Amino acid sequence: MARELKKPAKPEEPDLLPAMGLFTILIPMLLSMTAFSKLAIVEINMPERSMMNMDNDTPPEPDQQALNLSLAITGDYLVIGARGGFQPNVYFKEMWTFRCKSDAQLITHAPEDVKSAVESGHGPKCKDGSEMDKEKYLYEIETIELWAINKESEEDPGRVIWAVYSSQSENVPDSAYVDGNNAFLAAPGEGPMGLTPPPMLKKPSAGAVLATIDPNSARTLKPDVAAKNIIYPLSAYDLIAKDLIQIHTQFIDLEDVDNIIIVANDDTQFDKIIQLMDRAKEAGFSKINLAKLGG
Amino acid sequence: MARKTRKFSEDVPFSLTSMMDMMTIILVFMIKNLDAEGQLLTQAENLILPVSTSKVQPKEVALTVVVDNNYVVVDNAKIVPTEDVLKQEDLLVTKVDSVLKERRATEQEHALKMGLPADEAGNIIVQIDKNIPYDAMYKVMATCGFSGYTHIAFAVMQKNGGEE
Repeated sequence: MARELKKPAKPEEPDLLPAMGLFTILIPMLLSMTAFSKLAIVEINMPERSMMNMDNDTPPEPDQQALNLSLAITGDYLVIGARGGFQPNVYFKEMWTFRCKSDAQLITHAPEDVKSAVESGHGPKCKDGSEMDKEKYLYEIETIELWAINKESEEDPGRVIWAVYSSQSENVPDSAYVDGNNAFLAAPGEGPMGLTPPPMLKKPSAGAVLATIDPNSARTLKPDVAAKNIIYPLSAYDLIAKDLIQIHTQFIDLEDVDNIIIVANDDTQFDKIIQLMDRAKEAGFSKINLAKLGG
Repeated sequence: MARKTRKFSEDVPFSLTSMMDMMTIILVFMIKNLDAEGQLLTQAENLILPVSTSKVQPKEVALTVVVDNNYVVVDNAKIVPTEDVLKQEDLLVTKVDSVLKERRATEQEHALKMGLPADEAGNIIVQIDKNIPYDAMYKVMATCGFSGYTHIAFAVMQKNGGEE
């Protein structure tokens, strides 16, 4: 009698239903504990009573040996003051970047253009031709950018300075590059207001040794990083940050080297104050005071 | 040759493997974004916080003052319209000051009962819309200081959602 060959048994699939049940419980629980946008805090030092003009006490005489660093912001420029003197003004052009809901693309407009469009009954224009909600456009501002401007004189409207930036996504600038002399890879733009990038400013190729304004940040550009670099208007915040880092390093021995007073106009948006506080903290100024410009 | 017809009545076993793959991906994503410590700070409605590079987290629950385009809100109660704050000349926002002083007195009373020092500076977190003018922010901040809340922190949104 021929021996009956046993058919190899088909491997049994594990019972996945209990695992599915577990996952179904875990996912809603984790969903409730997940933070998609994380909040943080920025601490400040309270302004001194004398600054607030709430009493008639005369403020103490400033210490001549101290740094007495202040950073002022007006509607047109930023300026650093120390020891009774001021550095040259860093002029800027304010620009608002919106993210359109219709195409999820970023658009940048000057505030005056947005305001005049809203007055004539239109919202800011998106790349796909649609208009943003003219009532709620303020809530759609993603970033308030301050483009550094090169001015020859007070009357000169100036030209936008363009620089080479690293970028991580969709043409959004990350860090500005500096050369071996700690100078930005930058040049004033062409055309009216210098809004066209200068042709002489080229993106550095892979293998170039560059740094950012952060200390010890020199690196050799890898091909994937070099491919993502962009030419973008130089931020006035970056110009100020570079100066602040230099000042903090230069006067490291002084007692008040960690102190800075940020002075602003009444109508300065809160976002700009936070950006300046960020730059000051990154430069090493841990004690930040706030004051009003022009008393 | 007779064509073989498909048996439609045959039961096709339901495969959970692809479903498991999907669930595993979602689970890994969730665990990556998990905030095990919980949030001591939640964003108020009707405002957009500025984005900052700060990663400092509040150490304890603190009184929150919210300044949006419409109102100054203390502990979820609307106290004074923001427009009124902007119009006034004085640094001290009286209505906010009286509410804060009341809260500070309660906090100090509670601290004494617990045997803790009551004269320490009060902690307060201020949430301000990123488009609010400095004038309103400065007045609210000064008012907090005069009411005894001198440890002031501004709430901000972490850059890139806190990702490195």
